[in-house]
Amino acid sequence: MVKTVLSIFISALMLFCISVYERFRVNYVFEAFRERLVALYEKTEEKKATFTDGESVRVFWTAKRKELHVWVTHTSIENVDYQLNEAIGYLFEGKHDDALPKIEVLIEMTKKIPASYSFRFENVF
Amino acid sequence: MSLIFIRTVIIFITLLCIMRLMGKRQIGEMQPYELVITLIIADLACIPMADPSIPLLYGLVAILAIYMMHQIVCLLDLKSSAMKRVLSGSPSIVLNKNGIDITQLKKNNLDVSDLVESLRGAGYFSLDAVDYALYEANGTFSALPKSDYESLQDSLPVIIIDEGKFEDKNVALCGKTRREFCDILKENGCADYKKALILTMDGNGKMYFQKKGEKFKIIQADVGGKRLW
Repeated sequence: MVKTVLSIFISALMLFCISVYERFRVNYVFEAFRERLVALYEKTEEKKATFTDGESVRVFWTAKRKELHVWVTHTSIENVDYQLNEAIGYLFEGKHDDALPKIEVLIEMTKKIPASYSFRFENVF
Repeated sequence: MSLIFIRTVIIFITLLCIMRLMGKRQIGEMQPYELVITLIIADLACIPMADPSIPLLYGLVAILAIYMMHQIVCLLDLKSSAMKRVLSGSPSIVLNKNGIDITQLKKNNLDVSDLVESLRGAGYFSLDAVDYALYEANGTFSALPKSDYESLQDSLPVIIIDEGKFEDKNVALCGKTRREFCDILKENGCADYKKALILTMDGNGKMYFQKKGEKFKIIQADVGGKRLW
């Protein structure tokens, strides 16, 4: 009886901790990534963004991506990779107008991905 | 992860309700919640294992949620008899000293032939050989035989009428006609054979007859003093 209650308590606590940590961590990483993307977007809009600017965003993303694989489906991460590589490719070629929509998509993804893991009615069902 | 937890809990509760509603036919030696766990735990483990695009943690969290639900159900099962009835169900006495209880059978999505089959599986070939028969909460079948049950089943009975329907193959086996059986029923207070819940006959001509909503009767048919099979 005590053992059962204890096991319920421990498993509930574990689930709660995992859930809270996931929510906090995923939101934190994507918010930090979004800040960098917004800065890159503004620079690209002013046609001042260079390949190095894009590369610094990619370095940040690559560092955080490893940890995100634990929480987020790998397909979502691959989609971000794809869009980011495309944007950086355009920046390398100096095609700022082509890079802008890609960065915009990435900014949207940084909002949508954590939202799809949040506790909402539409996500539950 | 809270999403996976909630989704797992929803699936668990839904499956448990469905299993309870399906009655004892779907269960075999397991409590309904144990069957539900068995059904979903294998898939929970397999999906992240087989699909590398899904983080392994998704499966682990779902399994942990199932474990937690199991422990909660176990606790409720032990602590409250009312909850035990809701979660696991209660035994159903489907045959008593008055005969077959069709209400209990229907409640568990079973029919008379299922009961006869279960009785045969338990070693009782004649319906009058047992005083009580019941399906336990986990779906297993138990029967309390009469003290002289062996003498009551020296020939294999066959079903002649099953819930108001004639089994023509068995009617032919008895060497009688539908009309003859209808006459026997009339003599025993059943003008319409469709009102007969069960009529069986063994090789010695011993008949077990029960009209819907009434107590069973044992009738001896005339087989000319010989054994039919």
